[in-house]
Amino acid sequence: MSTHAIHSRDEALAGGLAFAMHVLFLVLLVFGVSWQHKQVDTAVIVDLWRDLPAAAPPKIEAPTPPPPPPEVKPEPPKPVPKVEAKPPPKPEPAPAPKPDIALKEKQEKERQLKAQQEAEAKKKLAAEKAREAELEKKKRAEAEVLKQKLAAEAEATRVAAEQQKARDALAAQQAAAQAKVVDEYKRRISEKIRRLIVLPPNVPDNAQVEFRVIVLPGGAILDAPKLLRSVGSVPAYDAAVERAIIQADPLPLPPDPALMRHFRELNLVFRPKD
Amino acid sequence: MSVLSLISGASLPVQLVMAILLLASLFSWYYIFLKVFTLRRTEKQTAEFERQFWSGADLNDLFQRAVNARDSAGSLERIFESGFREFTKHRREPGTDVGALMDSTRRAMRATYQREMDKLESSLSFLASVGSVSPYVGLLGTVWGIMNSFRGLANVGQATLSHVAPGIAEALIATAIGLFAAIPAVVAYNRFAGDVNRLAIRFDSFTEEFSNILQRQVH
Repeated sequence: MSTHAIHSRDEALAGGLAFAMHVLFLVLLVFGVSWQHKQVDTAVIVDLWRDLPAAAPPKIEAPTPPPPPPEVKPEPPKPVPKVEAKPPPKPEPAPAPKPDIALKEKQEKERQLKAQQEAEAKKKLAAEKAREAELEKKKRAEAEVLKQKLAAEAEATRVAAEQQKARDALAAQQAAAQAKVVDEYKRRISEKIRRLIVLPPNVPDNAQVEFRVIVLPGGAILDAPKLLRSVGSVPAYDAAVERAIIQADPLPLPPDPALMRHFRELNLVFRPKD
Repeated sequence: MSVLSLISGASLPVQLVMAILLLASLFSWYYIFLKVFTLRRTEKQTAEFERQFWSGADLNDLFQRAVNARDSAGSLERIFESGFREFTKHRREPGTDVGALMDSTRRAMRATYQREMDKLESSLSFLASVGSVSPYVGLLGTVWGIMNSFRGLANVGQATLSHVAPGIAEALIATAIGLFAAIPAVVAYNRFAGDVNRLAIRFDSFTEEFSNILQRQVH
């Protein structure tokens, strides 16, 4: 081979290898970066697993019922070897007395026949027994499987009930937390208004006014507050509270818009003493 | 945000820099593989010829074989051939003194040696310049990209990390490609320079030893 041929072959090989090298680089780069992205995604998923462990046990218990059948199966073969083992010893003694007289031989033959018949009868009996035993065992195994199924079902219902309980408890907790937040914001609203009340003179301590306010989602007050119960003796106090309510616009509302329904219509009660 | 989208989303100068670097990387790998093959072959041929030469073969036989297989002859074989040719030519002329004969033989071998070394060292300088320059070219692309992303940031009222990060990641790809091109080139250059040096020493010592053998033949 001349140097030229070798050189051109080398050049082609080198070009191909260089190209392959760059394809490899590119693949590594792309896959390396996308792999990192996948990791970030899994980190987000983690939170969702918190409630699931309670649901896992029934799944693990469900596959357990199958094992019992293998435990039952190895037993039936036992009676079969017993049946086979019994007949051989009986024919064996027969050949020994052969040299005796013909009568004896006949008797012997009869005896042998009898023995054989007996042995066959025994075999049949044993086989029947074995069959019966197998049937019984099958029945027992079926009963066991049924029992286990029932148990598994009971377990599943129990677990479901527990989960339901847990869910109810969670819902109750959430409701309690919501109620807390609602109370907190109601307190803040009345406090904000109370700070703005300019108390007129001569208001009796037991005076009590009640206003109904319609609140918009932003916390703005729709229309003028409606007077539900007036003090009667001191109309100046009613006017002072109404002014304070109008000044308090916008009212403080919780950031969660789901709680807005608790604040749509507010009945506010004010006493000069609080 | 995949690498491909980063590359396609970069500004035109940065993309140009990336293209130059990719080309440089392709060529440097091409030369790396080419050099690996030629150097390995030269080393094998040199070892083979040295073995033949020192096993006591007849010099005329060796010369004849080298002339016949001139196309596939190795560097050392060519050096030997040119030296021996010059020696036999001069020796036939009557009245040449030993000094002049040896000088011309050595000059002939020197010329072939230099030609062979030039062939072995070719494109090593390309690897060296890719190794030293491509990080700077990549850095230029990065600086340009970051400059652009900061200029774009000036138009945004509130600068957040999500405004700056994609631009900088785009720009940094240029540096990454530059380093991808440079690192193998530098490693290969150092390796090949050492290999060529060792071959040169082998050729040199062979030249000296062969001159001695020829000089002894004259007497």
